[in-house]
Amino acid sequence: MLRKLVKHEFRATARVMLPMYLILLVTAVGSNLAGRGMMNGHSDILNTLAVIIVMAFGFAIAGVLLMSFVLMIQRFYKNLLQDEGYLMFTLPVSIHQHIWSKLIVSAVWFVATVLAIIAASLIVAYDVGFLRGFFDFLSWFFEGLQKLKISETLNGTAYLVEFAVLMFLSLAAFSLQFYAALAAGHSRANHKMLWSVVWFFGFQFGLQFLGSMLFITLDRLHIPFPFDLEIHSAEAAIHVGLLMASGFVIVYGAIFYAVTTFFLKKHLNLE
Amino acid sequence: MPVLECKGLTKRFGRVPALEDVSLAIEPGRIVGLLGPNGSGKTTLIKLANGLLTPDGGYMAVCGAPPGRESHGLVSYLPERTAIPTWMSAKQLLDFYGDFYQDFRREAAEEMLERLNIRPAQTIKQMSKGTREKVQLIMVMSREAKLYLLDEPIGGVDPATRDYILSTIIGNYNPEASVVLSTHLISDVEKVLDEVIFINQGRVVLQSTVDDIREEQGKSVDELFREVFKC
Repeated sequence: MLRKLVKHEFRATARVMLPMYLILLVTAVGSNLAGRGMMNGHSDILNTLAVIIVMAFGFAIAGVLLMSFVLMIQRFYKNLLQDEGYLMFTLPVSIHQHIWSKLIVSAVWFVATVLAIIAASLIVAYDVGFLRGFFDFLSWFFEGLQKLKISETLNGTAYLVEFAVLMFLSLAAFSLQFYAALAAGHSRANHKMLWSVVWFFGFQFGLQFLGSMLFITLDRLHIPFPFDLEIHSAEAAIHVGLLMASGFVIVYGAIFYAVTTFFLKKHLNLE
Repeated sequence: MPVLECKGLTKRFGRVPALEDVSLAIEPGRIVGLLGPNGSGKTTLIKLANGLLTPDGGYMAVCGAPPGRESHGLVSYLPERTAIPTWMSAKQLLDFYGDFYQDFRREAAEEMLERLNIRPAQTIKQMSKGTREKVQLIMVMSREAKLYLLDEPIGGVDPATRDYILSTIIGNYNPEASVVLSTHLISDVEKVLDEVIFINQGRVVLQSTVDDIREEQGKSVDELFREVFKC
């Protein structure tokens, strides 16, 4: 059933995201052509048009980023807590499946958005004179990589992977904080949205307070590092740091997952 | 085994009681009218049976199980509002119901949509309010469910649409199942009911068969309703 939920969630969201990517692509191609025009032309009108197209590309990047974020919240709210919730919560699927379907699809769109922006940026920069510096930088960067030792290359790749995983987990956890606030707020009989905002800031305050208290306590207790890791180098310290950060984010996400599930399972109060 | 059973069911919204100590049982194969004035608790009872609200007290079982994932596969629910996603086309809606409900009869739904001249590519957004309600009803009645919970299916529609809706319900429900139909428009539904439950201010005031009302009290359901709920 999760697969089916994901399928229909993609259907619902693709009709918003795909046109956004298309706009991004069109403005990227337009910006590329505008860049070439600005290099070669001397017409004020054409130059003004070129500037407008490049600005449109900037807006398209901002728009697609904003939309993937807004969609993550809007789908949970509109599809589960508004009128469509009457259909969704009477499907023979579990609350866990509902939450996972929303999380998976949001995460995929976030990743797709990042890839789309990278691809669009490459299109803009492709073979445009004043952007050749960008490619010079890339070739310098990759040449530099080739000169590195194997251990350094592996470390660098591992950092990238660990950082990407951390970002991915952070996005999912951040989504869950919104879901938890919305689910908690909508369990109330009245002023559901107001209560959702209150819950969101309540969670934020609570987490920051608990997190600060935890670090202060650990610092004062002088507890030795729980793992027997001998950190010989800065590289290893960064790995441990990234992995620990991912661990904290997983705990942070798990707390909000549990809160969301609790309210949707035990205190659902659709208007 | 009753398809719907409540014992001492209570629901409050804040301090306002919506249902107080409701106990009832509905057996299979019955068409039951859940009748009461506006705000009497009909929608609350149906929403509780669908797990869309959490009770504050008492017990409720739908097809032997508490409202939840298991019962959702056996209950076909028509909410009092348009809940089908308006961005979907008629075809996507058929895919949606077909994907999630094993008892969904796609051919029957397609035939009914065709009779209303609804094209598969037409989106719900492009339809009038009345057509949306008919499409939602078609989806609900195209399931071979054990229990149909229909919340105000004829509220706010013209008499011709009322006739269409009632004939769709009667012509398509699974005869082994029960249909619970909430309304305050008694005269329109009286002819199709086997049983009635009168609900007022969150309490069940009467549960009886239509035949008993006619034979023992010598009144129609509409007449009795007007007497019980006289302002």
